[in-house]
Amino acid sequence: MNADITVTAEAPRPATLGRPVVRPQEPAVVAQTAPKVVIKDVRFYYKKYEALKGINLTLHDKRVTAFIGPSGCGKSTLLRVLNRIYELYPGQRATGEVLVDGRNILDAGQDLNLLRAKIGMVFQKPTPFPMSIYDNVAFGIRLYERLSPSELDERVEQALRRAALWDEVKDKLRQSGLSLSGGQQQRLCIARAIAVKPEILLLDEPASALDPISTQRVEELIAELKSDYCIAIVTHNMQQAARSSDFTAFMYLGELVEYDETETIFTHPREKRTEDYITGRFG
Amino acid sequence: MTIALPLISRRRLDRQRLQDAAFRGATRLFAVGVLVLLGGIVVTLAFSAAPAFERFGWGFLTSAAWNPVKDDFGALPAIYGTLVTSAIAMLIGIPVALGIAVFLTELCPPPLRRPIGTLVELLAAIPSIIYGIWGLFVLAPFLQLTVEPLLIDTFGQLPIFGPLFDGPPLGLGMLTGGIILGVMVLPFISAVARDVFLTVPPMLRESAYGVGATTSEVVNNIVLPYTRTGVIGGVMLGLGRALGETMAVTFVIGNAHHIRLSLLAPGTTISATLANEFTEALSKLYVSSLFALGFILFVITFIVLAAAKLMLLRLEQQAAK
Repeated sequence: MNADITVTAEAPRPATLGRPVVRPQEPAVVAQTAPKVVIKDVRFYYKKYEALKGINLTLHDKRVTAFIGPSGCGKSTLLRVLNRIYELYPGQRATGEVLVDGRNILDAGQDLNLLRAKIGMVFQKPTPFPMSIYDNVAFGIRLYERLSPSELDERVEQALRRAALWDEVKDKLRQSGLSLSGGQQQRLCIARAIAVKPEILLLDEPASALDPISTQRVEELIAELKSDYCIAIVTHNMQQAARSSDFTAFMYLGELVEYDETETIFTHPREKRTEDYITGRFG
Repeated sequence: MTIALPLISRRRLDRQRLQDAAFRGATRLFAVGVLVLLGGIVVTLAFSAAPAFERFGWGFLTSAAWNPVKDDFGALPAIYGTLVTSAIAMLIGIPVALGIAVFLTELCPPPLRRPIGTLVELLAAIPSIIYGIWGLFVLAPFLQLTVEPLLIDTFGQLPIFGPLFDGPPLGLGMLTGGIILGVMVLPFISAVARDVFLTVPPMLRESAYGVGATTSEVVNNIVLPYTRTGVIGGVMLGLGRALGETMAVTFVIGNAHHIRLSLLAPGTTISATLANEFTEALSKLYVSSLFALGFILFVITFIVLAAAKLMLLRLEQQAAK
């Protein structure tokens, strides 16, 4: 009707129709559980190369956080910072702060063995130790606890049950861990990781080497373990991230592009790059 | 339909075919030549040793006699000395070599990794005669004056170990030979061990560290079991070397044809006997007995090396899986 209306039509849509223009870095609905890991301005270097360029992020207890992004974006690197496994390799270092329950684990005084006992890690490929199924699970327990044989038996059974593997291996606990199938081996590794009663579980593409059925079992397992742990999972599988996580972080070229509740990320991503990635336009 | 080739090209093809055939024949000849040589050595050994074996039979293996005047020979002292010195060498060499390998692969700062590894490997580049001279003029007097009196005083009176450290400190004997051999086999065992330690997948190592294991726990529970066959293969290679080593041992073993329980006593080994006595072997049976000793040594080292190869092969198959 008049010029004013035309101008209004080109203005930003009202907030009720679309996403808000500005969103805080923190997901809005976080108050449900306590923050477990607070990552503050973490930078990571492979010699001179800066692989993480100042990451700020909070992982919540009893929640699953998925890390997605193209290969080389730094998501696995971020996981490796959390249990400081990178320290095995000279020339790799991290700066910034990672507060676990308020304590900075990047402190020089941090006891690495204790830290790693508290933070379980499962890798892309199953890594059963060259020993029996029983000993695989008992390995970590034996390092830190003096248990009677019957107590140890109980703990091993508990961990294997938790990892949904007990029924398949209970009659062959003395067999080599290498004799299991790939999917079973991966669940064995999860059992091994949770046997030491960690507080945080880091899963680095735990299902990428598995067939669909094993993948499903691992995902079910993650959903179940969530009630006890703070879980961080790196995945290349969008569906997997959408299905099994509460929060999703999209990383690109060493930066955290977007971090939000999984539903929001997959339905209303704030950033164009996020949208392009999850819809498969690149990566 | 055949393709008509220009004359020049056909000639070129013929020449190429000839070249290829000649090349194939030559390389095959080299390869077969080695086998023929090996077979020839075995046959010569066996033939030359035959008179001694005919004369003494299986008794040659169990007799402790060594009397050139009466033409009465037995291999037992030499076999005994060979096995004892090699055992001492392994006792010393294996732990130290594995320690070096663990240090180089797990603990050593990367800038030092190559220099230290190279230095250890250079131990293998020292000619064995140098080890012999060093053993005779440096190690033997040191053992005689310092270590052996201490051993005799400390262990000599013990009920079970006592006899092993009995007798006068001579400096020359099976202990000295064994120590020198231990140093000589170090580079072989540590090089193989380092290589097989590096075959442990990084993720496996990280998983073990990931549940909170310390370096020694990772090495004992993960690295060593994972590489067991390879390490045993490396040990066997070292053992093969220790069994056959001649010059260094000849210098310090004492060259006595008798069997003494005491490690401090002089003895002899098969190779030391051969090196010492061929020039003075006058009778036919004497020479034949020396050949027979050589044949026995060949059989022992052949078995050890074959076992080593077999183990290393099994490791490769395991890694391929």
